[in-house]
Amino acid sequence: MNRRELIQRVTVMLGGVMAAPLMTGAMGQVLNTEPGLAVDDSQEKLLAEIADIIIPATSTPGAKEAGAHNFIVRVVRDCYTKAEQKKFYDGLAKLNDDSKSKYGKGFVELTLPQKNEMIEDATVYNKDFFREMKNLTITGYFTSEIGATQALAYDPIPGKFDGCTTLEKGQKAWAL
Amino acid sequence: MNLNIDAVKAQTFDAIVIGSGISGGWASKELTEKGLKVLMLDKGKQLEHVSGYENAMKNPWDTMYNGRLTVAQKESHPKLARDYPYNENTEKYWMNDSDSMYQEEKRFDWYRPDIVGGKSIMWGRQSYRLSDIDFEANLKEGIAVDWPIRYKDIAPWYSYVEKFAGISGEKLGLPQLPDSDFLPAMDMYCVEKEVKKKIAENFPGRIMTIGRVANLSEAQKAQTGVGRSGCQYRNKCSLGCPYGAYFSTQSATLPAAMKTGRLTVRPDSVVKEIMYDENKNRATGVRVIDTNTLEVIEFYAKIVFVNGSTLGSTSVLLNSTSNRFPNGMGNDSGELGHNLMDHHFKIGASGEWEGGKDNYYLGRRANGIYVPRYRNIGNDKRDYVRGFGYQGGGSRAGWNQGSGEKAFGADMKESLTKPGPWRMGLSGFGECLPYHENRMYLHKTEKDKWGLPIAVFDAEFKENEAKMRIDMQNDAQEMLEKAGMKNVRSYDNKSYPGMAIHEMGTARMGRDPKTSVLNGNNQLHSVPNVFVTDGAAMTSASCVNPSLTYMALTARAADFAVKEMKKRNI
Repeated sequence: MNRRELIQRVTVMLGGVMAAPLMTGAMGQVLNTEPGLAVDDSQEKLLAEIADIIIPATSTPGAKEAGAHNFIVRVVRDCYTKAEQKKFYDGLAKLNDDSKSKYGKGFVELTLPQKNEMIEDATVYNKDFFREMKNLTITGYFTSEIGATQALAYDPIPGKFDGCTTLEKGQKAWAL
Repeated sequence: MNLNIDAVKAQTFDAIVIGSGISGGWASKELTEKGLKVLMLDKGKQLEHVSGYENAMKNPWDTMYNGRLTVAQKESHPKLARDYPYNENTEKYWMNDSDSMYQEEKRFDWYRPDIVGGKSIMWGRQSYRLSDIDFEANLKEGIAVDWPIRYKDIAPWYSYVEKFAGISGEKLGLPQLPDSDFLPAMDMYCVEKEVKKKIAENFPGRIMTIGRVANLSEAQKAQTGVGRSGCQYRNKCSLGCPYGAYFSTQSATLPAAMKTGRLTVRPDSVVKEIMYDENKNRATGVRVIDTNTLEVIEFYAKIVFVNGSTLGSTSVLLNSTSNRFPNGMGNDSGELGHNLMDHHFKIGASGEWEGGKDNYYLGRRANGIYVPRYRNIGNDKRDYVRGFGYQGGGSRAGWNQGSGEKAFGADMKESLTKPGPWRMGLSGFGECLPYHENRMYLHKTEKDKWGLPIAVFDAEFKENEAKMRIDMQNDAQEMLEKAGMKNVRSYDNKSYPGMAIHEMGTARMGRDPKTSVLNGNNQLHSVPNVFVTDGAAMTSASCVNPSLTYMALTARAADFAVKEMKKRNI
């Protein structure tokens, strides 16, 4: 059996199962014992904009297009304790408040240079939030379909192993 | 009346195998292939090969949390959530903490699967032979009791199981780590090749080799014959392998046993006790509780193989009481439950390599490297006995390489999309001595949801292990530094019994019925038709991963048992 046949066989055998995880994701079931802090559209939008400054579109799409904020909302809601959630969203609110005091506008309405300025400020004045948000954005982006397959090199079934190859010029890091 | 006779007939087999993990699968394969009608029981739920591995082919973006646990999972699994094997992607394979009730006089991490196939699905697959240095150690040092077997007794059985399971590795000819019948060795990462060379140059007697692993680097007839194929280098083994590329019950022993037409598998069946006929001095079968209906069902057989994992097997024996065995079946010695061992680990060092910038790799090797034991070998004498080996390996960081505290934006993104530094880690696995006082026992009053007494653990690592850990930490640091690694950091993350999931002992083999539970054929000294061939049988722990030894002991005991049946001795 060659590699292609093998992959086909396994894909057929798993056919019914492959769709399941996507369904779970779409249903977005809340798994926390108590419901997570409610997140409204404006907060989600804010997270998406901040994520897009941390990982902007370059020759490949940025965090917003990759939907990193969906991952962030989900992880904070289900994997953070109530106290951790509150701390995270307080940090988010502070960033928006700081933006209002500095520029008279919420973060989302700022120009691109102003947004960058605000995130630069946050690395000093809103440190914990920045660190948390950055880590979540990096994971959310590079494990998204766009991040993994466009920004990185994605090879889910290598089929062979060579522990010491020559790094090609411009070769991207493996996604997995 | 006829109905009853029919029912008894339907519940009667030649052999019952309790448990379906690595050793239970082997017992079922060997016994069915030798012509016996076998019932294999498991308390876990059914897990179908391939279609049951729901997370095996998921992309990262198909997962909810990229492997994280939810707060709810942490709350409902206060014990399992203490360490990494329980995570988003393996959640369904492990037993809920609420079902796996146990008490800790001292901390013990008990990983109990909840699936047919047991830990053969999630195991680390590292496969090493014990040597005579291991088999003779207790006798030479006057510790615990002597193993009733030597390397020559088990060597042909190692070969036998290796040819079927498929073990990839490199021949070294070392006395302390006998070679297996290997499939081709896997390649090393650039950084590993560098460290291997430098260790050989700087440390006579120390060798770094590729891990010996139950993954098919090249599938042979014995493996393709049961539907297995070669490793695809995805490194997602613990999710279940749709290619059958690593050895598990589902990929290997189960299809072989099913092919005989003589195997019945019954999941959702927790064994309450082994039934005993005092007049005949034989086990007559087992009493099972159906985990769904709570119905109690009896099954009968001429022989019983106990393969419920070390602590599961011993729990069953301890709970199998009678006039003859008030303290548990086969427990004349009082050693049942005692001499509990595990490897101590979570200690070592790691560093970065500045070389190899122009090199990368292809594929994700489902295997690490191995440094065989070198302490207390030959002329080396330490202030402790026994020794340790190192596992670990090299890697080249990707998007998770880190980017400095304040970095963000296009430059950071760009840097994370390029390969980061090479890293190399060495992590020690040390032998733990068989201390009589390290034990598990059954609680007198507390019961689990099936009404079975819960296990209590009272075991700890002691002075010999503590002294060994000093070497384990320092040697790792020294070797990596001498190998030219930079920013070498050593660590001791503390190891509690159970964490290595190499729990062993509690029904040890031995020569004397007064001081051991099993004889040299894994047969209860006092009940000749009951065999225990999982980790419970271990007389000492060695420092190598034990599963390959369970496979060999099982095949050997099955051969003995069937010969004894034919001679009408059992």
